[in-house]
Amino acid sequence: MSQPESSLPRTYKRPSLLTQLFDIFLIELTNWRWSWRGMLITGTIAPLFSLLALSIFARDSGPYSLSYVLVGNIVFSLLFNTMDNISSHVLFMRRLGMLDYFGTLPIWRPILIFAILLAFLLLALPSLVVMIVLGSLILNLPLHISPLVVLVVPLCAVPLAGIGAIIGSRIRLPQEASAISIVLIFLLSALGPVVIPPERLPSLFNLLGRLSPATYASSALRQVLLGPITGQLAIDIGVLIGFSLILTLIASRLIAWKEQ
Amino acid sequence: MLVYDVQDVVKYYPGQTKAANEHITLQIQEGTIFGILGDNGAGKSTLIRQMVNLLQSTSGSIKLYGHELKNNPQLVPQLVGYMPQRYEALNNLTVDEALYFTAHLRGMTRNDARQERERLLKLWQIEDLRHKYSSRLSGGQQRIVRLAVAAAGRLPVLILDEPTNDLDPLRRKMVWDILRQLNADYGTTIIFITHDAIEAEKIVQRIAILHDGRLLVEGSLSELKQIVGKKMRLELTFTPGLPPTLPEGLTPHEVMPGRWLVMLDWEQVGPVLSALSREHCDDVRLYTATLEDIYLHYVTA
Repeated sequence: MSQPESSLPRTYKRPSLLTQLFDIFLIELTNWRWSWRGMLITGTIAPLFSLLALSIFARDSGPYSLSYVLVGNIVFSLLFNTMDNISSHVLFMRRLGMLDYFGTLPIWRPILIFAILLAFLLLALPSLVVMIVLGSLILNLPLHISPLVVLVVPLCAVPLAGIGAIIGSRIRLPQEASAISIVLIFLLSALGPVVIPPERLPSLFNLLGRLSPATYASSALRQVLLGPITGQLAIDIGVLIGFSLILTLIASRLIAWKEQ
Repeated sequence: MLVYDVQDVVKYYPGQTKAANEHITLQIQEGTIFGILGDNGAGKSTLIRQMVNLLQSTSGSIKLYGHELKNNPQLVPQLVGYMPQRYEALNNLTVDEALYFTAHLRGMTRNDARQERERLLKLWQIEDLRHKYSSRLSGGQQRIVRLAVAAAGRLPVLILDEPTNDLDPLRRKMVWDILRQLNADYGTTIIFITHDAIEAEKIVQRIAILHDGRLLVEGSLSELKQIVGKKMRLELTFTPGLPPTLPEGLTPHEVMPGRWLVMLDWEQVGPVLSALSREHCDDVRLYTATLEDIYLHYVTA
């Protein structure tokens, strides 16, 4: 015999969204405790070596090409630090039962995705600063940093992080996730004017690059780090906001909170 | 008041033709200590994952306080503290952090969450582990921390998947004592699963026995003992190597070298004891049927 709906026992009120975001952000920041070595290597050292190698070839091609080498490698660093790390993190969250833990807490689930993105963005910042400073010194490119950098950097990171979360939410094995992530990193860097100026790319690559958030991230970063800022920045920011919303929404929907 | 009302629940995992559980129906009253007993693969963990809304049922209905779970995803987080069999969700956190964040995310104020952390550290006797990372703890210590995390916020229902696995006898006793205390002091409904009938008997008020995805029986310990009959458990110790000398018609089982178990009807007890040769028998123990006997009776029937 079943029972009609009854009044529920009194418990605590669900915490505010801000409290949820702050707590989960702090929990996610603790990933630094295990990931700092990996983040240092993949987020700083690997892009720095890539920058050094490319600078040898591009040294004589002038500041225009060098600006692509510098900003392209900063995007490369963001791809490793956000997309690659978040894909591994979400996959491990599924495998280690972290989604079970968060799934039985009274939180609004998209908050978890936002907190992960924010935490990994913050964790990526030191590598980013090192890349910008050392890169400009190595390539002898003067920095003209606009205050808009505060807006542009997160907007560059969020869509890439969203792609990482989508990979981590769907792929079953860490090896597969890592392989897909690496292939995507190279595809997103190569398809479109990210590391190489558009004039030197086949037109098909330039066309495909329009579909890649890395292209807009590279363009926006180049303007706010090296100048000059043009009308293109507004387009870049608009497209990056669109990518951020769509990819974050897809990621939070794809994560399997409830096993089928 | 009815806490859980599970009606005709069936679960097929994708791509499987055999059901992980089949037509499970049971009800759990508020304030009960409810044990779900079964061997490996009986479907115990599947059932409780359905009960905490982490696993979708193929069919059937699960209600918590009369509210359908699948339509109310916020019910379990508000009302149920769940400890899975294994998870490493809190590996990056210290014990302190794990307790504080869980209590705070369950809606306690910062101050209350800090006090709750201190209370739990003391209650579960893990004060010396407070600054250690969960990943650096032994299996038993991790389990105690997970129990404390599940209990954070004093929710009205606790669901625990094998709460005493990996624990030494002292810690096992501590866990059962604390769970009994939570039940007595706050009326917490405690639902736990185990495959250890001897352990379960120490605390359980009602029991469900699962086998091969099916619910074989559900009831209080005394009800189940009545169903099994007034069987008596006679344990005899003989010198190892010597066969037991028993009246004809009895089938003893050697539970360990020299130690034999015989299940008797009440009227058999007198004649069997009289017939025993005290010269060859080192020890004689007579009990009413235990939960383990009940479990074996149903599972091997």
